[in-house]
Amino acid sequence: MNQVPPTIHLDSGLEIGYRDPIARFGQSVELTGGTHFLLARNGRGKTTLLRTIARTLKPVAGNLRTEGFTQYLPEDLRFDPEITPGMLFRSLLPKDRLTQALDLAGRIELDVKKPYGRLSTGNRRKTNLIMAEFSVREDRGNILLLDEPFSGLDAFARQIFEEIWKDSAANVLRLVSCHPDYDSMEMPSALLIEGKTARHLNGGHQTWSELKSLLN
Amino acid sequence: MRLFRLTFATILQRKAWVICAFAILVLPFVLPWISSSTEKPILEQPARILAAWNTLWITTMVWGLFTAAREGESNAKTGIGEYFQTTGLSATRQLFEIWLAVICFITPMAVATALICQFGAGPADPAERSMWWVMNLQYVSLFLMVVAPLLALATALASRFGGITGFATTLCITLYGLYGVGYLDNMVKIEENALIKSFLLFSPQYRFAGDLTQRFCLKSGPVPMDSYWTMLLYFAGILAVFAGLSRLCFRSKTTA
Repeated sequence: MNQVPPTIHLDSGLEIGYRDPIARFGQSVELTGGTHFLLARNGRGKTTLLRTIARTLKPVAGNLRTEGFTQYLPEDLRFDPEITPGMLFRSLLPKDRLTQALDLAGRIELDVKKPYGRLSTGNRRKTNLIMAEFSVREDRGNILLLDEPFSGLDAFARQIFEEIWKDSAANVLRLVSCHPDYDSMEMPSALLIEGKTARHLNGGHQTWSELKSLLN
Repeated sequence: MRLFRLTFATILQRKAWVICAFAILVLPFVLPWISSSTEKPILEQPARILAAWNTLWITTMVWGLFTAAREGESNAKTGIGEYFQTTGLSATRQLFEIWLAVICFITPMAVATALICQFGAGPADPAERSMWWVMNLQYVSLFLMVVAPLLALATALASRFGGITGFATTLCITLYGLYGVGYLDNMVKIEENALIKSFLLFSPQYRFAGDLTQRFCLKSGPVPMDSYWTMLLYFAGILAVFAGLSRLCFRSKTTA
């Protein structure tokens, strides 16, 4: 299928923040399909950057461009406590992908009949992730902006999602903000916010242990 | 229409609509038993009509406005609105889809009320019966024209100022439009007051729609068609104003 690949282009001089800039890009950044990690200490602007790219927040200065069907999954996204994941998937997902979504839910031990309000944090996260992952458009490039998708998620579910991410890397650009919990986690592409400066680091086998020393 | 489907499924799952549907289907037949119609059977028909339409108004004012407000508030506060906004669903479209989901529950209740009025309290005479159809159609259309913008306003106000504000404000507007304006009108008739008169001029006269209950009970016949169209146009004007106001107030996410 001949389709435009997903891209995020952040111009040099882009400043993000709420009235006052929190971080600034000294050099332009171009991201394409695949998984990119967004790393920074608390309060340094990870969520702000994701919201700016999702266009629910205006940049303080500078420009950015995106190409692809965008979904921003806020960290605190929550659905009605009465609704079950099963009903949620039936309401939001295309019919032809529902079976796959329910199958994945089964594999990662998500009870689709339990009300959302009674699910654990991890299981709510699984529900949100399945909803977003199976809402991607197959006919065009996609941008998935995921804010702390791993918090509360068990290692088994996390591994399965990472496999899904690898399989769909060509068609989906994922920008994932996270605080990794093991040093050997590979991060070939990472956006770092250090102090008030943001930059892109691209290295074949760079890991969290190397990158975390750069965060201040 | 993903947000519509989600909102519809959410309301369906909460099940409070079952109580409303039960009240609308059962109360018109139960309430006349505890009225004076047990002693005067001739009053049973008007009692049923009163019970049916009043139950619909109360249900809409309490459950309908509350549900609309709750959906508006949760859309803005839970991140759902922001998520949909990033997928390209504009705030206008979000407001419309939430409103559509709520009105999809209210409309069948209005139709059920009209059907109860037609078949459970309709006159035996075929000529009167056809007149009854016209009145029911007039009432349902005017009712929906009154209620539709109020539901949108409840959603919009709740998204910005919280659920209680959205619900209470629209409930007060409805009560004022149904009953308050009548009292003011009587006051002005007794004693001329330019201030109250001008206030009355800009008040929503929902009592024009509510008065149809009395027309049923008194068998006054349908509203003359020219008056009906004038009323419909008047309510369409209010709808346009409230729709604009709702869009101005509505927000899909809480400010950071």
